[in-house]
Amino acid sequence: MDNSKHQSAWSKSIPFGEQMRIIGRLFHYAAPYKWYFYFSVGFSIAVAVVNIYLPRIIQVYMDSHLVVGRTDFQMMWFFAGLYFFGMVMKAIMQFVQSYLYEMGAEYMLENTRRKLFAKLHTLGMRYFDQTPSGSILSRLTNDTMAFANFWALFNSLVVTISAMVSSFIAMYMVDLKISLWLLVFMPFLFVMVWYYQRYSTRVYRRMRERLSLLNAKLAEGITGISVIQQFRQEKRINEEFNGTNDQYYNTRKAMIRINSLLLNPMINLFYALGTVLVLGMFGVRGLHAYVAAGVIYAFITYLNNFYNPMSEMMDRLSDFQDGVVAGSRVFRIMDDQTVEPQQHPVKGATITRGKIEFRHVTFSYDNVNPVLHDVSFVAEPGQTVALVGETGSGKTSIINVMMRFYEFGEGQILLDDRDI
Amino acid sequence: MSIFIKLGWYFKQEWKIYLIGLFGLLLTALVGIVPPRIIGVLVDTIHNGKLSGQSLLVLLGVLTLAAFAQYGARYMWRTAIWGEAAKLEKVLRNRLFKHYTEMDLEFFQKYRTGDLMAHATNDLSAIQRVAGGGILQFADSMITGGTTLIAMITLIDWRLTLIAIIPFPLLAVMARYLGTKIHIAFRDSQAAFSRLNNKAEESITGIKVIKGLGQQQEDMDDFNNQVATTININRRVNRLDSLFDPMTTMIIALSYVVTIVYGGYLVTNGSITIGSLVSFVSYLAMMVWPMFAVGMLFNTLERGNASYDRVMDLLKQKSAIIDDADGVDKAPKGEIDYHIQKFSYPDDQRAALQNINFKVPAGHTVGLVGKVGSGKSTILRLILRQFDNYQGSIQFGGIDIKHYKLDALIPAIGYVPQDTFLFSDTIRENIRFARPESSQAQVEEAAQKSDLYEQIQAMPDGYDTAVGEEGISLSGGQRQRLAIARALLINPELLILDDALSAVDAETETQILANLHAERQNKTTIISAHRLSSVMNADEILVIDDGQIVERGTHAELMARGGWYREMFERQELETKVKGGAN
Ligand SMILES: Nc1ncnc2c1ncn2[C@@H]1O[C@H](COP(=O)(O)OP(=O)(O)OP(=O)(O)O)[C@@H](O)[C@H]1O
Ligand SMILES: [Mg+2]
Repeated sequence: MDNSKHQSAWSKSIPFGEQMRIIGRLFHYAAPYKWYFYFSVGFSIAVAVVNIYLPRIIQVYMDSHLVVGRTDFQMMWFFAGLYFFGMVMKAIMQFVQSYLYEMGAEYMLENTRRKLFAKLHTLGMRYFDQTPSGSILSRLTNDTMAFANFWALFNSLVVTISAMVSSFIAMYMVDLKISLWLLVFMPFLFVMVWYYQRYSTRVYRRMRERLSLLNAKLAEGITGISVIQQFRQEKRINEEFNGTNDQYYNTRKAMIRINSLLLNPMINLFYALGTVLVLGMFGVRGLHAYVAAGVIYAFITYLNNFYNPMSEMMDRLSDFQDGVVAGSRVFRIMDDQTVEPQQHPVKGATITRGKIEFRHVTFSYDNVNPVLHDVSFVAEPGQTVALVGETGSGKTSIINVMMRFYEFGEGQILLDDRDI
Repeated sequence: MSIFIKLGWYFKQEWKIYLIGLFGLLLTALVGIVPPRIIGVLVDTIHNGKLSGQSLLVLLGVLTLAAFAQYGARYMWRTAIWGEAAKLEKVLRNRLFKHYTEMDLEFFQKYRTGDLMAHATNDLSAIQRVAGGGILQFADSMITGGTTLIAMITLIDWRLTLIAIIPFPLLAVMARYLGTKIHIAFRDSQAAFSRLNNKAEESITGIKVIKGLGQQQEDMDDFNNQVATTININRRVNRLDSLFDPMTTMIIALSYVVTIVYGGYLVTNGSITIGSLVSFVSYLAMMVWPMFAVGMLFNTLERGNASYDRVMDLLKQKSAIIDDADGVDKAPKGEIDYHIQKFSYPDDQRAALQNINFKVPAGHTVGLVGKVGSGKSTILRLILRQFDNYQGSIQFGGIDIKHYKLDALIPAIGYVPQDTFLFSDTIRENIRFARPESSQAQVEEAAQKSDLYEQIQAMPDGYDTAVGEEGISLSGGQRQRLAIARALLINPELLILDDALSAVDAETETQILANLHAERQNKTTIISAHRLSSVMNADEILVIDDGQIVERGTHAELMARGGWYREMFERQELETKVKGGAN
């Protein structure tokens, strides 16, 4: 099937430098809305800071009040109130953070569409004749969407990184030594994320390809139903469809397996093993010294915060490649030079009489094979001139050139004796 | 819940894997109780100064074991439950597609392509969510929620538990409420997106007209307005979407307030230990997702149920065309005997055909001509058994066409429909569509007969050239000839050309007709056309008007009669003359 070509375009890997350049340009499109993103990132950091303080409140409450029995209800309500206030702040900031980011991304997406659409209007007919309309449409809608998803991945990255950094700082403040020991896990974590990104992207892409093939077959099965039935090919078409459906199902299962191996369960395993390490070190210390309950509580909570946003972020990693690929395709249109014939700087002339004259016009669509050779004729106002000829002899081309859908090579076309 | 019962057949069929999945979930939940408790115990023993090296080792050992056991259990239920959901979607998709291919034209007129697509994509995905997410949410709220709750009550303190989880049902309510709102908002957003899509499609396909009329600015303004509407609709989606986390935070905050005060009180009066309080807070966090799950479950089931009903409605429909199981199995041959007293399209009172009687002896050609909408295509469609509800009978080789097996009748007919449909595939595959095992020589022969051979030769990829959606765009005439080649490849007993030469020039038409005449000795042909030159040489020509035969005879007879046919012929003759003269 023609899908092989399709596939190769999808899976073609883009060199790293090129990827960076594309991402750079994507940032350029976000620039008009940068304040949305700056504020959103600011709030992400703020949420992360609140997340440092919340366990701290409970830690102090436990260690300085509960354990030593120095509490009354007033004190309890004070801590409860403090905690509640912290949570309210966090909730508000979470909302603002997410909303600002999503709106920023929305504006960016729609603005890109506007720009792309405007750009399409400046392209010459040549472009539209050479590019299937379905693919232009897909650039305008689906590809722009793909890089909006890509943008959502950045949000996820920001949230994840601020959570990791802040949690680490918090752990560092609670216990320097144990927090440094936890770094032992980092290389494994990196390898895991790297491996997941590499592997899942490939499977994910294959899954998407097969899904779009499946949907294409589905659509064709419906629109082409009368042909299928008229040639009694129901059985074969069904078998083909089932085959594609099976292939899709298989990749989907592969995707589920990878996600089950490396996503949530794996992150949880990291967290659980981290807990073992933390408790082990606290425990060893506890063998001959006192370790406060609140300290253990806070440390474990930070550890949890550290890993928490990771699986969602990893899940989105597959949007990265898609975004870059989509971005590169969108930019290809933005950079296209097949310009439309230019408006003459001095306009204002209006056609009053309608005399048309072709003087030695030569034109070709592809700059190699001339379609019109040295065509000359005059159509006086009020006269009707008929163009006749075989299919492909150039009737439509004369109209195309006159309407300036295409720029012609040599000669002159005069409207009311004025060069068009 | 009824959707679970409706899907019962699937769960029954797949019970083993579901059992594994549920077992995995249960294991995950049970093992999940261990770590918080161990943390609590450790805190307490350190607090009491009773920690020994040995007990520390035991605690850590259990914790490590629990970590790996949970990993295994999680992997188990995830692959089982998500895998089953994907499988259900696959099974249903196959079934639905098969059903589509078996339905009659009436069905395809009732449902638009887009709707049929949506049922096979969106609806199926809503149903598979019941088999995946739905089962998970159900089991999670019961199993994880239940075990955690029991752990909190038995291991920590039942009073604290009952008070602290008071705000938790709010999570379920919120998940349900926000979930519903987001669903609606999202649907609007998708509708806006498809409007934008349509607008863009219109502009791109109509770019020549837009440029020709100098409407660029208007078109861009139009697009920009559409974009602005889309932004407004998406703002709502984003707002609702951004509410999820903060609301959760708030509800948990309430729970924490209670825990801090009442839990603190219980610690100070010695009812629970400080370690228990630490465990309790962890358990509380473990209750969040099961509560969420309750709320989401309702939405999942509701949507799944609606989708399932829609899909079942489709599957329940029966084709009006009944394939006679005991029908004649041999390929029809010979004369066509067409007797229709009356035929109306389903859901239409008007008679589309009335008293159409004609015979096509083997080896003859019959031409159908007449105004637009006069009923030519309708006559042909009945032979193809696209509709069966007519009064009268059509015989092929002396046997009623309804008494043939479809597998015997249809392959004997080569049909070139009025609007050409080509598959997104190579030219070769399109030509040998009816017989994919055909050799290259056979394909080329068919191309030759439809006068397409040279043009395909001239293409850089020849027969491997891709056509259709993704391929190159063929001209209308090329497409028609490809469709003719497709029909000729099977060398059919009966060839039906429904206005199938409308887009080819006169010369090519003559060529193709001559080819047919030479090739199809003893085989029947019915040609419907607007251009009379297509049917001029037919053995009999029927002029159709308003579903009835108004004139009939050979070309010479009809010319002599001086009716519509002659008038039309002279007009078309003149047209060709004028064209020829100017050349
Ligand atoms: N599927 C349908 N359901 C209901 N009415 C239909 C259907 N198809 C056609 N008709 C009606 O039946 C009549 C005959 O249509 P038909 O397509 O047979 O005309 P035709 O002679 O083939 O026209 P044309 O020359 O345009 O191909 C028309 O009035 C048309 O509106
Ligand atoms: Mg017709």
